[in-house]
Amino acid sequence: MTRSPRTPGHEAMKNRIVPYTFIAPAMLLLIVFGILPIAVALLVSFTDMNLAGLGNWSRIQFIGGDNYTALFADPDFWQALGNTALFAVVGVPSVIVLSLAIALALNRSQGRFFRALRSFYFVPAITAIVAVALVWGYLYNTQFGLFNYLLSLVGLPPVPWLSDPTVVKFSVGLVAVWRGLGLNVIIFLAALQGVPKEYLEAAAIDGASGLRRIVSIVLPLLRFAIFFVTITTVIAWLQFFDEPFVLTKGGPLGSSTSIALFLYQKGFSSSQFGYASAGSVVLVAIIATITIVQLRLRRSDVDH
Amino acid sequence: MKRMRWLALGTAALTAATLAGCSSSAPADGGTAAKELTVWVMGDSSAHFDALVKPFEDKTGIDVKTVAIPWDSVDQKFTTAVASGDGPDVLQIGLSKLRTYADSGALLTLDDAALSGHENLAASNFVDGVAGDATAIGGKVVSVPWVSDTRVLFYRSDILQAAGISTPPATWDQLRADAKTLAGRGDGSYGYYIPQWDSVLPVIMTWDQGGDIVDSQGKIDFDTPAFGKAVDLYTGLYADKSVPTNSDFDQTQGFITGSTPMLVSGPYLAAAISQSAPELAGKWNVTTVPSGAKDTSLLAGSNLGVWGSTKNKDGALQLLDYLSQPDVQVSWYQSDGQLPTVKKALADSALTGDPMVSVYTKQLASSRLLPLVPNWDGETGKALLDALNSIVLTGANRDDALKTLFTTTAGTPAN
Repeated sequence: MTRSPRTPGHEAMKNRIVPYTFIAPAMLLLIVFGILPIAVALLVSFTDMNLAGLGNWSRIQFIGGDNYTALFADPDFWQALGNTALFAVVGVPSVIVLSLAIALALNRSQGRFFRALRSFYFVPAITAIVAVALVWGYLYNTQFGLFNYLLSLVGLPPVPWLSDPTVVKFSVGLVAVWRGLGLNVIIFLAALQGVPKEYLEAAAIDGASGLRRIVSIVLPLLRFAIFFVTITTVIAWLQFFDEPFVLTKGGPLGSSTSIALFLYQKGFSSSQFGYASAGSVVLVAIIATITIVQLRLRRSDVDH
Repeated sequence: MKRMRWLALGTAALTAATLAGCSSSAPADGGTAAKELTVWVMGDSSAHFDALVKPFEDKTGIDVKTVAIPWDSVDQKFTTAVASGDGPDVLQIGLSKLRTYADSGALLTLDDAALSGHENLAASNFVDGVAGDATAIGGKVVSVPWVSDTRVLFYRSDILQAAGISTPPATWDQLRADAKTLAGRGDGSYGYYIPQWDSVLPVIMTWDQGGDIVDSQGKIDFDTPAFGKAVDLYTGLYADKSVPTNSDFDQTQGFITGSTPMLVSGPYLAAAISQSAPELAGKWNVTTVPSGAKDTSLLAGSNLGVWGSTKNKDGALQLLDYLSQPDVQVSWYQSDGQLPTVKKALADSALTGDPMVSVYTKQLASSRLLPLVPNWDGETGKALLDALNSIVLTGANRDDALKTLFTTTAGTPAN
């Protein structure tokens, strides 16, 4: 930095302040809506805060790590954690593979029909979850649902889509995959626009098959888009909430309860805010760890 | 150092602006507040409620704003209101939530001194089971009765007749036998319906076996012979294949189609059946719950409370007084199908003339409140349902499931 001979201190400070004024609004938003709530949750997780404490702060007691001890001894918590792990392990690859496949198929043409089809695939992402739940709830209904009617046409017995503790996980997951596709298809389509046509044409002239071109040219060039979609999808599935909340309320017997839904039940249905905060701190830690691992893997990938 | 101060100043300014923005939404001057009342009505009865309070608005000049709170988001709305201190003036409180709400300290104490001058609100006017001290929490009354609700046995007389059952079951043993007979009609036919979300039915069954779920010290105790018999009955109905096992079974449709020709439910089911299947009139009826050693049913319903920090306490109490007038209670039954809590209203010819209502009132006389535990829906009732449903749906070991229930609920205060 060069100092002006006239007013050295003033100029230097001005130069130093300018960048901060640009990022200040973003910083403030991040602190108020991002960091502050996590800090508050951390603080609350060491107390026995409940509805009574919320009304009158003097009734809140500091209880140290008791919430965490109770949480790790709670079978419901472990069940929710296991469910969430299953949702993420099955859901994330399904969403990525399916949305990539759909994007590749939609990208074959710029025709009017294909453009209409793109918006069609985006519809689930913008439809209100309540409407989605209502429609899927009827599709899945054991007595008058469309799915069981279709099964009966080919002579198959009815499936308890939302009543069986095992089947319900996949029924709820299917709705979430269906809902998650739209946005990721759009991201992949945007990334596909960035693949230079010259590469593909050159490869075609060299006699590379369609599949060969996708595997050797398109996918490597989409690497960053796939990475981005993977990270956001993993986080979304770890925070999985909407579909089980509106379709099953986490039932039957907690078999579709995700961690986020468990926290909601403890926080808002049982008013155990301290306990729910402890759970949310654990969830933040899990998501942060997994995301950092993913970022590390990505970094080593670039170094090669 | 200096840039830190800039940041701090900026943050403070933004926070101040945000806070100012939030607080300015509440009406500040007492003049408009005295002419307004916000009422939270649970469920979807707000249009009927608007019509109900119209004469009150005309008489007092108070503008009553009705906000319908869906049953699903009741907890969330209340919690947010307690946290922000920005609640309604008057709110409807489901009895299973009463203790939670009272414990929060957000409700105004409605003792005799507070209610003086409002003669309609005297405890002696209301059905004994819910009036005054019956719903006091820790000796403090924070609500007045509003609507009562009891559970009765609904049955399809035409289907029972066809199966050779001339009278509805009078005891739970008979019900179990009849349900088995009715379930034998074929595929997709059952005899009885147990809602998997209804934590009250097993309690009613326990009461009917002559037992209780509260011990002499006022603590929850499921470890009793009467509860054991209730569990046998509950799980036995499943073992007989008399009840559907899918959780998304629709109880109204099940009754209308005849798939489940018997079930225990509240007066609201009668309204739903009359509305969606008027052609069934005369083919179904209600009777008091089957008995064991007793024929006790649930006394449920809702009370009304006043928000502690209301700016219009007088108006709120006037509204409660108006809503407790016998004629207003009768017209609420006529428009919304909810049973009154005022004795005079229950004795009104508009209600006693209806044979179904006479069953309800008869059942009300031998009904009792669910124990006022800190959190029935989220804790005690949920633990009860989890235990029973795990036995009947996933084949969990009965003794293990019950042991878990005993230990998780032991010591829960219920007085």
